[in-house]
Amino acid sequence: MPALLEIRGLSAGLQGRRSITQVVSHVDLDVQRGEILGVVGESGCGKSTLATAIMRLLVPPQVLQSGSMTLRLKDGKSYELLDLPEADLRQLRWRHLSYIPQGSMNSLNPVLRIERQMTDILIQHGLTREEALKRSIAALELVNLEPRLLDSYPHELSGGMRQRVIIAAAVSMRPALIVADELTTALDVVTQRQILQELAGIRDELGATILIITHDMGVVAQIADRVAVMYAGKVAELGTVNGIFESPLHPYSQGLIGSIPREGGQRVEGLPGEAPSPWNYPAGCRFHSRCPHVIDRCRAEAPALLPQGEGRWAACHLYEPEVLSNA
Amino acid sequence: MTAKIEARAGESAAEGRDAGRREVLQYALRRFGVYLFTLWAAITVAFFVFRLVPGDPMNILLGNLTRAEGRQRDKAAEEALIAHYREIFGMDDPLPLQYVNYLRKAVLGGLDLGPSFVEYPAQTKDLVFRRMPWTIGIFTTSVLLAWLVGTVLGALIGWLQRSRLSQLAVVISTLLQITPVYLVALGLIIYVGYTWRILPAGGPYARHLQPEWTWEFISSLLTHAILPMLSNMIVIGAGFTLGMRALMISVLGEDYLTFARAKGLSPFTVLKDYAFRNALIPQVTALAIIVGATLNGTFIIEVLFQLPGLGTLFVQAMGLRDFNTMQAVVLFSIFAVLTLTLIVDLALPLLDPRIRRTA
Repeated sequence: MPALLEIRGLSAGLQGRRSITQVVSHVDLDVQRGEILGVVGESGCGKSTLATAIMRLLVPPQVLQSGSMTLRLKDGKSYELLDLPEADLRQLRWRHLSYIPQGSMNSLNPVLRIERQMTDILIQHGLTREEALKRSIAALELVNLEPRLLDSYPHELSGGMRQRVIIAAAVSMRPALIVADELTTALDVVTQRQILQELAGIRDELGATILIITHDMGVVAQIADRVAVMYAGKVAELGTVNGIFESPLHPYSQGLIGSIPREGGQRVEGLPGEAPSPWNYPAGCRFHSRCPHVIDRCRAEAPALLPQGEGRWAACHLYEPEVLSNA
Repeated sequence: MTAKIEARAGESAAEGRDAGRREVLQYALRRFGVYLFTLWAAITVAFFVFRLVPGDPMNILLGNLTRAEGRQRDKAAEEALIAHYREIFGMDDPLPLQYVNYLRKAVLGGLDLGPSFVEYPAQTKDLVFRRMPWTIGIFTTSVLLAWLVGTVLGALIGWLQRSRLSQLAVVISTLLQITPVYLVALGLIIYVGYTWRILPAGGPYARHLQPEWTWEFISSLLTHAILPMLSNMIVIGAGFTLGMRALMISVLGEDYLTFARAKGLSPFTVLKDYAFRNALIPQVTALAIIVGATLNGTFIIEVLFQLPGLGTLFVQAMGLRDFNTMQAVVLFSIFAVLTLTLIVDLALPLLDPRIRRTA
């Protein structure tokens, strides 16, 4: 079965006065129908830019450089997202492609009632007011909110409620793909847990596919089926949650997983150094300056994302056949 | 089950609306209280400031008169005259008593602000009321028009912030905004009024006409109003345009705008419901503030275009040290600014639901 969303060679950057600073470099990623794919990485690794690029919401100075993205719907139609004119894209949005933005706290217009903000897009998609209202109420119930919230203004709701309203709005048209960017970052852990459970429930109930962007390995462990680990604008490793958590291949994934606090009072091993900013990505493997297993080749040549067994990819010279055979 | 939920929802919504109405009423009452207090404080300050100005108006006024008539100064007669008038104007009473009398007459005596010194026994109130329509007609209308034009223009410039045209518009607006209003007025008078002779540039209407309900008079009135209104509008409108542009740009960076775009709403809906509506709130407040701050500019315009408004009245009164009249004009300005601010304050909760809570 073909992937729901097929991303190939996607690059995006920041337009400077003379040149473009690349933030996301040649990302290849398949989002399978019905899965929850987590994209993790440190701040500034380009994961939000990736999400915004998928949604085609980049605003200057952010620019799309190259790549292709194909959205294949169940009914057999497929769309080349990057070539779609804005008007066609609007038809696609919310009906097939929804977004749960970073900073959900401020994502609702403070001067409009929730009802207006949930139903305006439904009405624009051709529903009647009654249908739109009914759908919104149903969507609110999916995230355990009462229908009377429709009458409130955003400032009358708590942070968790606002986040739920956003999720409800995003799923109200039963879209095929939901891109959720840092959806639990501003919330306390209890609310975070509930919301993630609700989101997983929505996936099961609506059969939606969710791409979840986060810096939090805990979120990924709780909700995702597969993980893409991003480092400095590139995918470092891709695999199932179990696979990556049990035996991370890429030294960066190993570092990330090593820095999760565990039960039993073991010392947390942090990663030395800090993530490079897009203005000075190192040559060769972008991780080489922090890598404990660095070899000469890492400084000269960027590793490609290569398959490493069933459903597993890693971009690291250590796992390339000739290096393995030398060792 | 669903019906039950909906019924419950209906009830609590009604409760919420009642509570909301109470909040709005409380807000309005509080605003009105603040309004009355500010008005009183302003009147009081105005009263004492004028009384604290050194020099006795009667002395200056009558001294000028006798000197002007070229008579030999008769000290005793002059002093008797001054004493007589001081008594008429109640200027020999102690200051607190004068103040109480002034307030009492102003509030209970139907806005009796005392007679004018110069045009005695004409009431200053009548002088002000006779001039007021000119000032309101020219000044208030031009500010409102400038606000409408500036708000729409600024919203568009902000929305299209990256286009060449809107960058050019910003430069032009900035230049216009920093130009003093009298320079614009003088430029219009010189070029439009005299060099090119397109529009009349002086007086309220053509000199040979009498105020009456004829088309000739009304059209003369309107053509004479264009230049003074235009000078006011250019400068103030440029300010409103820049203000609205800045507000739009800051709103365009908000998360809720990204979300609205992500939803796939049409650009017009995003502009109307998400950007313009939110940027409008501070812009409405700005209207009240600008109205207050630009009264001075209007005085200059009235003098330049020889309009019989409050500005010219004030300038005349100042030259003759007619403190009662000056005070009446100042009082009127304070009253107008405060009332406009009150109206804007009362209108804000309609635009911004957050104000209903926090005020």
